[in-house]
Amino acid sequence: MSVLVDWLEMLAEQVRQWGRFSIFTARLFAVTPRALLRFRLIVEQLNNTGARSLVIIMLSGLFVGMVLGLQGYDLLRRFGSTEALGTAAALGLLRELGPVVTALLFAGRAGTSLTSEIGLMSATDQLAAMEMMAVDPIRRVCAPRFIGGVLAMPLLAAIFGLLGILGAYLVGVVIMGVDSGQFWSQMRSSVELKDVVEGIVKSVAFGLACSSIAVFEGYYAVPTAEGVGRATTRTVVVSSVAILALDYMLTAALL
Amino acid sequence: MSVPAAGGWGRSVAVITWPFRHGLRVPGGRLIGQVYAHGAGLVAAKAAHCAALGEVRMTMALADDSQASVSAAARLSGVHYQVRGHSVFKDLNLSIERGKITAIMGPSGTGKTTLLRLITGQLQPDQGQVSVDGVDLAALKTDQLYALRQRMGMLFQNGALLTDLDVYENVAFPLREHADLPESLVARIVLMKLQAVGLRGAARLMPSELSGGMARRIALARAIVMDPKILIYDEPFAGLDPIAMGVVLRLIRNMNQALGLTSIVVSHDVQEITALADTVYLLSEGRVVASGAPASLHNSQDAMVRQFLTGGEEGPVPFHYPAADYLQQMLSQEVPQ
Ligand SMILES: Nc1ncnc2c1ncn2[C@@H]1O[C@H](COP(=O)(O)OP(=O)(O)OP(=O)(O)O)[C@@H](O)[C@H]1O
Ligand SMILES: [Mg+2]
Repeated sequence: MSVLVDWLEMLAEQVRQWGRFSIFTARLFAVTPRALLRFRLIVEQLNNTGARSLVIIMLSGLFVGMVLGLQGYDLLRRFGSTEALGTAAALGLLRELGPVVTALLFAGRAGTSLTSEIGLMSATDQLAAMEMMAVDPIRRVCAPRFIGGVLAMPLLAAIFGLLGILGAYLVGVVIMGVDSGQFWSQMRSSVELKDVVEGIVKSVAFGLACSSIAVFEGYYAVPTAEGVGRATTRTVVVSSVAILALDYMLTAALL
Repeated sequence: MSVPAAGGWGRSVAVITWPFRHGLRVPGGRLIGQVYAHGAGLVAAKAAHCAALGEVRMTMALADDSQASVSAAARLSGVHYQVRGHSVFKDLNLSIERGKITAIMGPSGTGKTTLLRLITGQLQPDQGQVSVDGVDLAALKTDQLYALRQRMGMLFQNGALLTDLDVYENVAFPLREHADLPESLVARIVLMKLQAVGLRGAARLMPSELSGGMARRIALARAIVMDPKILIYDEPFAGLDPIAMGVVLRLIRNMNQALGLTSIVVSHDVQEITALADTVYLLSEGRVVASGAPASLHNSQDAMVRQFLTGGEEGPVPFHYPAADYLQQMLSQEVPQ
């Protein structure tokens, strides 16, 4: 009996959390136009979330591309069509791995820092002080970070894809000896605009999801050291699940 | 209009001493900033700046404060407030007189900070009414509440400086958000306020490089940068050395007298409050247990008042948070639930 009650309570809390999240994102979107005017704040956040994630994104992109080159080469060799390696790597990176892995890394690198930063600001009364100075913290603190994250994600995914293709080229062509001309020409002839669009749509969607979750968790974090820690963990967990679920839905919709 | 002395309050106050409202207009007619000012600092600096640079023409409408007819700057009536089942206020009634310094005293944890948050509309009472300038806060929309808050300044108990901005930017923050002023003017105003708290030299330090007392003084400079009409101080003296304490004490009194500000000061320091306040409210267990001029409280025979002013542990004001019987709890094997 009490298990059932616990369950219901948990369910109710989930529903409440969803409600809070919906209201929060509605407020976030409502202040976004005005926040966009504060160009300098957004550039600052682009630097914070985007530029500081650059190294990890580039390194990961290179390694993922190299693995793809190796696995792809082994697979295609069984069908005697190793010259298709360029196509395989480009499609995999553009449509799936680029957006998804970038978003997962982004949630871990930038999302956590957004959550803990905003959570600590609230724990030290900085958000309350802002409200006292008649400044809406959602507009001044949350919105620029949200916008910065949304802008950074597609750019990071593009860089990830670029480095990935370079990695696949290194392994496939330089090490395994696939013909360089074939690698590029096959890629060029079979990758379509639609594939690029799929990648862009996905990375924008992941950017919206990751940034709003990170900012929300920070804003509603219990204002203590422990509360901020938990919120940070939740950012990673919730973002990761959201990314993978969204990925399935978008893939199905865009196929 | 004379140029305000960089020395800060004392002399710039001499320039204009009545409340008025004004706007700054550029020749094209675009309103570049509207500041509701009660006094001299910002206004005089603006005037000086306009005179010096000639780049803006100022139109000033001197008007009586429209709200001056309402005598109480803030009033709480029949306020009940609970947090997580713990009742902080039960039927609290209190009024803050305009132009006076009102002190709120009471044991730690009685809800003094909570009271300030009710007055500023950061919290809403479960029951009862909170009004500021005769306006019921519950009736205000968010932007109206924000407009009201531009006329209030609050010093938080721990300073609450923005950690990603340096001292200068912290003090400039309200100006940048609310008034689109030229940088040279912002600098003049900020330096004037920093000078008033004795920390002009610390302008480029980050909040993490400040001591607790310094952070509080910077927060005070930030609270007064918009020339508010109501200034709220949450424990302004805690953690200050005697010199800084004297400075802050004089600052509070001077601003109050010269600019006709309404000040609300939360403090435990009986001596300072006696010297400073016009009216004292003593809170305990969610109610006002005594109020009046500091002298009348000192003469009071009330056991509760005497206990608080002399600092006795035993007495009607409970030093302990509500708890089970001490002896019984110590003798039993039970662990607090
Ligand atoms: N978020 C909260 N959750 C639970 N209880 C709270 C919360 N905030 C405040 N309280 C309770 O409300 C009461 C009043 O707190 P408040 O901070 O207003 O006290 P205070 O008078 O300012 O104390 P101090 O002099 O120590 O600053 C305390 O008993 C505290 O336990
Ligand atoms: Mg307090």
